[in-house]
Amino acid sequence: MTLQPITLYGHGPTRNPIKVAVLLEELGLPYVIKSIDYEKELKFEPYISINPNGRLPAIEDPNTGVKMFESGAICEYLVETYDTEGRLTYTTSPEKWLLKSWLHFQMSGQGPYWGQLFWFKFFHEEKNLTSAITRYENEAKRVIGVIDAHLTKKGGRDEVRYLVGDKITYVDLAWLTWNTVIDMMFPEGTWDWKTEVPAFAKWHLAMLERPAVQKTLGLEAFQKK
Amino acid sequence: MTSPNITLYTAQTPNGIKASIALEELGLPYKVRQLSFKTNEQKEPWFLEINPNGRIPALTDTFTDGQTIRVFESGSILQYLVSRYDPNHLISFPPGSRESIEVTNWLFFQNAGLGPMQGQANHFHRYAPEKIPYGVARYQEETKRLYGVLDLHLADGNKEYLVGGKCTIADISTWGWVAAAGWAGVDIDEFPALKAWEERMLARPGVEKGRHVPSPHTMKEMIKDKAQMEKTLAEAKEWIKPPAGHEAK
Repeated sequence: MTLQPITLYGHGPTRNPIKVAVLLEELGLPYVIKSIDYEKELKFEPYISINPNGRLPAIEDPNTGVKMFESGAICEYLVETYDTEGRLTYTTSPEKWLLKSWLHFQMSGQGPYWGQLFWFKFFHEEKNLTSAITRYENEAKRVIGVIDAHLTKKGGRDEVRYLVGDKITYVDLAWLTWNTVIDMMFPEGTWDWKTEVPAFAKWHLAMLERPAVQKTLGLEAFQKK
Repeated sequence: MTSPNITLYTAQTPNGIKASIALEELGLPYKVRQLSFKTNEQKEPWFLEINPNGRIPALTDTFTDGQTIRVFESGSILQYLVSRYDPNHLISFPPGSRESIEVTNWLFFQNAGLGPMQGQANHFHRYAPEKIPYGVARYQEETKRLYGVLDLHLADGNKEYLVGGKCTIADISTWGWVAAAGWAGVDIDEFPALKAWEERMLARPGVEKGRHVPSPHTMKEMIKDKAQMEKTLAEAKEWIKPPAGHEAK
């Protein structure tokens, strides 16, 4: 069966649509990226009939008729529908449940908090809200520390290890997109993460080298306009 | 269906009661282990083995292979419970169905959006060591926006519940946070359909029973009682560390 391209709604370097694109690319699925205008489209019909929250991403899959929102939910849909061989997932237990724990941790613990740090560091008009910036810097470091400790336990100081089982899954890739902003969160000289959290660094840098990841991160549609 | 051997590690918070409400709605037996934030019990090594993130809720169970399984993150726990123990779809829809996908949409919306943002509103409105009016406004406004999305969705077609006309894990995930609107400084009266839904949920026996785990859920009464609110706040501030100079753990 030839698949028709899945439409992915995104906007430039906005992180969460890229999370979905990385998975689409890794699974070798055809897709088109449609940029949504923040001023004219995001909060209006027809987009809010696909995502009532008026946020990115959302997808439309003409192969199944499914239109849905929330990046984590979309990733679950894609692997359940298209990764039937389990290349990037586990269907065995307890791995399939642990994947969900780490996925939910990513989308409730990594994305929202790192996003807040970005806001206070780069976008907010008052640049001196030190206590707010410190709050979110500490939380980002804490979350990275949790990943590092987990991977270290699995032997990640010596070799690349992944969050669940012994192979890379869609959940490692779900963390990757936000991981790529680490140098913006902690510019050189502020926190030497490559030394401080070596298992995390090994994991992150190994994922960055994957051809599908490089291709997706380099796509014109995801660059800053 | 194998028989459950569930222990729920929890505390009286909007995320903790998601799990106990789902367990009650499903009529499952479970043991409760309450964790004390005052003594930072959630960061003790034995618990980090269950949830490496050191947060509640978490759950252990005997899996189909006879071995212990750990499940952490409230959303993941809800998905686990219905997949294993809801064959008759009391609070879920058949996997792969349109309704099931829509439940997942709203479940992630709560876990990635409403929970974290209302939590930040709590922080800046109640706990922050430094009063930052911008921080308070930013997160209260975002919480209100998200409530507006829920309110509009429920009002459209007079829905009784978020998906498919029945209470699902999407509703269960959302209830404890909406019931605590006042703690974040958000007036639920501005969202009539959401308010009616919150009360509809409260009338369910499973919600009523599950919300009082591991200790009585007093949020709704507390919000109306200013003296009680001040007391709770003072207690909470004792174990919530200020951010500056303290590495979060």
